[in-house]
Amino acid sequence: MNRLAHLLNKISLRFFKTASVVLAACGMAIGQSSPQVHLDADGLAPRPIEELTGTTIVRYYAQAWGDMAGALDSNSAGGLGEEFIGLAKDRLTRRIAEQKQTGVHVRIVDHGHRLKAVFYSTDGAAMQLVDQAQLEIQTFDGNKLLDTQNAPHAYMVLMTPGADRWYVRDLEEVPAKTD
Amino acid sequence: MKRNPRSDFKAFKLMAVSVMLCLLPGLARAAELRAPAVVEAGQAFSVPLQGSGSATFYLVGPDHVVKRTVKLGSDLQIQSSDVRAAGRYQAILCDSVCTSAVFEVKAAQPGHLSFFLHPSRVPVHTPNSIDATAFVFDQYFNLDLAPEAVDFQIKPASGASFSRRVSTRRGVAWMRTDSTPHEGRVQVTAVSGSVEEARVVQQVAAEACALRVKAVANGNMVTIETDPVRDCSGNSLPDGTVVSFTTIDREGKSTVDTPIKKGIARTELSIHGRAQISVACGVVEGNEVAINGKL
Repeated sequence: MNRLAHLLNKISLRFFKTASVVLAACGMAIGQSSPQVHLDADGLAPRPIEELTGTTIVRYYAQAWGDMAGALDSNSAGGLGEEFIGLAKDRLTRRIAEQKQTGVHVRIVDHGHRLKAVFYSTDGAAMQLVDQAQLEIQTFDGNKLLDTQNAPHAYMVLMTPGADRWYVRDLEEVPAKTD
Repeated sequence: MKRNPRSDFKAFKLMAVSVMLCLLPGLARAAELRAPAVVEAGQAFSVPLQGSGSATFYLVGPDHVVKRTVKLGSDLQIQSSDVRAAGRYQAILCDSVCTSAVFEVKAAQPGHLSFFLHPSRVPVHTPNSIDATAFVFDQYFNLDLAPEAVDFQIKPASGASFSRRVSTRRGVAWMRTDSTPHEGRVQVTAVSGSVEEARVVQQVAAEACALRVKAVANGNMVTIETDPVRDCSGNSLPDGTVVSFTTIDREGKSTVDTPIKKGIARTELSIHGRAQISVACGVVEGNEVAINGKL
């Protein structure tokens, strides 16, 4: 009877471990699709935000993070899509090339972003936002996990409009205390 | 005294476990990595590495990744070119196990200004009509998040120059100012430290002011001509600005749109009997004249 209980315990533990792996894999897959982004544009100056602009910003910013996570994990700059432009694109492209060269890759498990719009120029040509993100960042050399960082991250973001979308022009990580 | 071999064996086991517990952390301990918390972009620095033997060092930054073999017990040199982009850097040192440290690279002194002036043309004497926005970057194009003073120097084509000092907030300084009373080029220069960037806004005449028209009849034809069309500050409205002449006579109402040429708008109309002619430019209406006797 005891042996049977022990065997059942072993089986359930194995099942739990397998389920965890599957869930973790799902989590990783979710991390590389577009993450959740919430935008707060209260009190934005000097120009208020239009509702459609807010929706567009959220869509393309989420897509940018999804693409970036995929590109940093696969070391393929082609996966960056069209969400990044200018300095942000140049920097990411260079980083991906050097990651590839050194065998390093980075996996981002993205738990969501709280975006706060802090500046929107009068002519509508640029919007500055602060992103408070919950990220788990795993750094690998090949298959070897070198480091895992699971902490809040803050980013200063500069987005500019194009014909039919908003682009991420600058994305700089800042100390998480920055509002 | 008789010794108990079982208790001796237990004591030996306990001692062996204690020794292993003491030794294991030492064996598995990674070389220590102490990086400074904050570094200025483009500034080289060194990190002392304790221990002996060799290890693999990784530096993962926003636009740069380094992997190299380092000698423990010496100083690890981080080159200025390794830390040009502002942001968070992860330093990882691996021998038997890995240890990591995170540090921030912040922007250096202002080196570039990204300056927007809006709009490109503005009517004279209009309150809060010119917007100037400056983003302050360092020489490596990192947004300088520290508060920096930006002077906006405004030089109209005629009249006195003036300036406005604004402190950046999260790397951005902006201000709004009135257009000056006279038409022409206004140069706005943003200055931060030794960096400056200039843009130009063209001030144009505002709406017409005291719009007046005169008419000369010649049979069934009448020549209508405005006085020089100016705004309330005396600036001539630019050529091409449309002036509308409306005639009401016994045939009904008709309107002719005429562009200003050399400061005045002129046209010829045929009239039938007594006619009332009015003039308008934009939202401004001028005087009315009556033809057939009384002008």
